[in-house]
Amino acid sequence: MNAGTTGAAKVIRARWVLYTAAVLAGGVTALALLGPLFAGQPAEQVGGPYQGSSWPHPLGTDGLGRDVLDRVLHGGRVVVGLAVGATALATAGGLVLGVALGSVRHRAGELLMRVVDVLLVLPPILLLLLLATGLPGSDLAVLLAVALVTTPTTTRVVRAATHRVARADYVDVARARGDGWWHILRRDVLPAIARPVLAESGLRFVTAVYLTATAGFLGLGQPAPAANWGRMVAENLDGATLTMSPFLAPAVLLVLFTVSVNLLADGIADLLARGGAA
Amino acid sequence: MIWRRLLLTRLAGMVATLAVLSVVIFAGTELLPGDAVSAVAGQHASPAQRAEVRTQLGLDRPAPQRYLEWIGGALHGDLGPSYTGGRPVTDVITERLGNSVLLALAVYLLLIPLSLTLGTIAGLGSASGRRGRRADRVILVATVSMLGVPEFLTGGLLLAVFAVWLGWLPAVSIAPIGGSVLDDPQALLLPVASLLVVSLGAATRLVRAGVANVAGSPYLEAARLAGVRGPKLVLRHVLPAALGPATQVISIGLGTIVGGAVVVETLFDYPGIGNELQSAVAGRDVPLVQGIALTLAAVTLVALLLGDIVARALDPATGGRP
Repeated sequence: MNAGTTGAAKVIRARWVLYTAAVLAGGVTALALLGPLFAGQPAEQVGGPYQGSSWPHPLGTDGLGRDVLDRVLHGGRVVVGLAVGATALATAGGLVLGVALGSVRHRAGELLMRVVDVLLVLPPILLLLLLATGLPGSDLAVLLAVALVTTPTTTRVVRAATHRVARADYVDVARARGDGWWHILRRDVLPAIARPVLAESGLRFVTAVYLTATAGFLGLGQPAPAANWGRMVAENLDGATLTMSPFLAPAVLLVLFTVSVNLLADGIADLLARGGAA
Repeated sequence: MIWRRLLLTRLAGMVATLAVLSVVIFAGTELLPGDAVSAVAGQHASPAQRAEVRTQLGLDRPAPQRYLEWIGGALHGDLGPSYTGGRPVTDVITERLGNSVLLALAVYLLLIPLSLTLGTIAGLGSASGRRGRRADRVILVATVSMLGVPEFLTGGLLLAVFAVWLGWLPAVSIAPIGGSVLDDPQALLLPVASLLVVSLGAATRLVRAGVANVAGSPYLEAARLAGVRGPKLVLRHVLPAALGPATQVISIGLGTIVGGAVVVETLFDYPGIGNELQSAVAGRDVPLVQGIALTLAAVTLVALLLGDIVARALDPATGGRP
């Protein structure tokens, strides 16, 4: 998941790919966030198990006879919401840590970075499962774990960017002028590292969506009967021989979302990098 | 001599990393408020029963002491008894680890040639004419798209198509009692395919980046002018230079495959260590979770070290010297 993006990004610059990805990602996000407003009770039994599509229940019912459309409308908010929250937390954490490590002397910064890097060795899903054992049945554990997994990479990028800026002439000038560190940080450093940080947070969001969806599938976070697209895939797989839609609807939505977010983040990172070079 | 020094520093670094990770694993599962006692004694246990279970599990002693005992036992290959059934954690791990390693090896066996082929086509295409660039773009969009799709979705969709809809392949891979998963190799197909789809994206991109770097270089132009063409050009001049990044495939893919194995093994009910970890987490079996996590961390570190050594040995820039 934390694959290098070196060089590959610039090829996907076909505009139509980006526009399609933006529309799809926006559409699924809107459905996930606004869906609960239009849906009935997601935990209420309305019919027999695994009934096919019918007028009151266009996507059929699941194994407990619950309306699948209602559950689909309710189940996206937690996936998208946790991913957004974790990315915000990781970006904030990575920003603070990265600027701090990038400002101190090189040797010390390198040493501290190594400590942060230790977290990168553990496979992300393993860390997710560990925290879920400590804080069972809690969405907060998923949020914290995903933020923790994505923070080291962001810290590394921010630190590298800060390090470049900290040695720039205009920062030297500002320092010689007697500007305070907060002033330098706000006026000189932050604007200069904004682009890479923004690009990075987009790429981390991709990882975050991947992890929150997987957490749902593994049964982590708020337990049943709460609706969650990831968990719905697990719940309804057994009934796929009887009726496909309860399994297929959340699975297709998640595939559309992960692919479009991925292409979009890649394209945006590329645009920001090219804009930064010009 | 140089190799020996390199190995020694790397091994020391590995042990230090594993020590830090063991603290992370222990703290993550034991110090957080999730209480193992309720998992064992049940939610409606009386305070007296809870106290008794607490003493039984040794949870009344201070955490640092328990950590030292745990890690001391681990050094002797003893990870304590699991909560459910009291089976030694080490036994559970040795029974299941082999199946997971088998799964990972099968994935690598396909991943390496596939990513090398696709990455070379894309990388060479990026530096040549219209058709080459088109191939490059198609391969990239396809692999980037697959990169962020969770394993349970690719696996679930493969399952829906091949096991449910077409009925060609078994939906679960339960090994016969006393037998091995190899008795029914068909059952391996879907788990391997699901893991492959996700790791192929990352691996192909790495190889492509390495090849694209070489493809535009004067060095390759010189070889071309000297009359080296076709497969020979690729095998003799492109691949060796791209092998450095390509060996990273092994390391990069590792986190994906180890993490993905938990998901895929759960999905297909494959009798591996990842499946065991998932059910241990669901059952709040803390010693089992800790033992498996420590094992997976150690396996990951060893594999990273091996990948690093191979990368250094193959790197033409150093001529095989570290």
